[in-house]
Amino acid sequence: MSLSSALLLVAQLATATVPAGTDTILAANGRGQPTPLAITRREQVVFDASRFDSLTANALRSLFEDAAAMGLPVRPLINRALEGSARRIPSDRIVRVVREHAIALQEAKRALGDRSTEDELEAGAIAVRAGLDDDALEAVRASRAKSPVVVPLVVLTDLVRRGVPAGNARDAVATLARNPRSDDVLLGLQVTVAKNAQRGPGMALDALNRYIRSVGASPAPAAPATSDRKPVRPPES
Amino acid sequence: MSADELRFPTEDDLNDPHAHEIRERLQASYAAQPVHDAAHMARVSRAVLASAMHTPVSGPRGVRPRWWWGAAAAALLMVVVMRPWRPEAAQQQADSAMARTAPLVEMSGKTSEERGGTVRFEFTLPSSAREVALVGDFNAWDSDATPMQRDASGTTWSARIPLEPGRHEYAFVVDGQRWVIDPLAPQVPDAGFGPTNAVVIDGEAQP
Repeated sequence: MSLSSALLLVAQLATATVPAGTDTILAANGRGQPTPLAITRREQVVFDASRFDSLTANALRSLFEDAAAMGLPVRPLINRALEGSARRIPSDRIVRVVREHAIALQEAKRALGDRSTEDELEAGAIAVRAGLDDDALEAVRASRAKSPVVVPLVVLTDLVRRGVPAGNARDAVATLARNPRSDDVLLGLQVTVAKNAQRGPGMALDALNRYIRSVGASPAPAAPATSDRKPVRPPES
Repeated sequence: MSADELRFPTEDDLNDPHAHEIRERLQASYAAQPVHDAAHMARVSRAVLASAMHTPVSGPRGVRPRWWWGAAAAALLMVVVMRPWRPEAAQQQADSAMARTAPLVEMSGKTSEERGGTVRFEFTLPSSAREVALVGDFNAWDSDATPMQRDASGTTWSARIPLEPGRHEYAFVVDGQRWVIDPLAPQVPDAGFGPTNAVVIDGEAQP
């Protein structure tokens, strides 16, 4: 056994003997506060480390501390870890999912801006995980520069998840979200699409277009059900 | 007699007087059979060929079925059912047919904000369950923290919990094992654990 291997083994044994229990993590507070301000108002968020074995708890602590150092909210990461524990997911998978979620939070922060709230970043990270790109998040942010974009992002993620092409969903949500009081309209769109999506492929997009027309908003740019179809005649310049 | 003892008849056997007598009697018996005429044989041959080749048979009035009758019937059926001149009626008919085939009780849920910052969660299950719990980021996903109450119908479960304004994720745990979600509520995609629902509590709506 080489010296480096021996040192590594000693280090692993040392971390394995750390008593696992409930500890506290410095995390962002206040769901409605912008993240940088929230981090300056740090509040103790409980991380129940006793739900994990000591090696996993240490790995998660390291991830939380790195995320906090990068200005990312830690509460969503703790929630993700606790959810995995409650579902009895293997430890290595929990750590992987938490790490991937931290990366998604970072992407969401880059697209939505540094002044985004914790809920906005979490909704944006979920949207990233659903396959939406930075352009979609930036379009939603641009539609509501001064109002929260939590509901638009939640609805956008759900529309894409139910089969609406990402471009159509982005345009429709951005169109409706221009009105800062349109959260109820957006949630109505979500329910309408969810009900119709169960009827078969293509019905989700059809329901979206009908809903947009019914609320009187400018309809989203018409797109065929198959997004890869090219127009027969290019638009005249 | 074994097979080794069989042999072909020899010239001596053919000249045997007993064999000659047997041959003459057989020939006489064939000659006694009646001989059918050519017309009778021709009718028998046609009948055999017709049955073998499935020759179409004329109907009672001499009308023979045609191959395009089936195609015309299929086209007529499509026009009657789909009614291309009234697509909305055909859509309604399809919807009602789907509604008839749907089960009476479907899995569904509902969230509603009540006064005092309390949120009511409802969940309806098509099958019977012994217990249903509400889990989410508000109770650290602990299935023992928020048990749901069953109503009189026996299929709908509900729970009331105070929630701070903002976005929350949740799911339902049936019988302590099965994690299920509301199919119509906003969904959070599966990132490795399984899907969940999301709800956004409006802080301005609460007193």
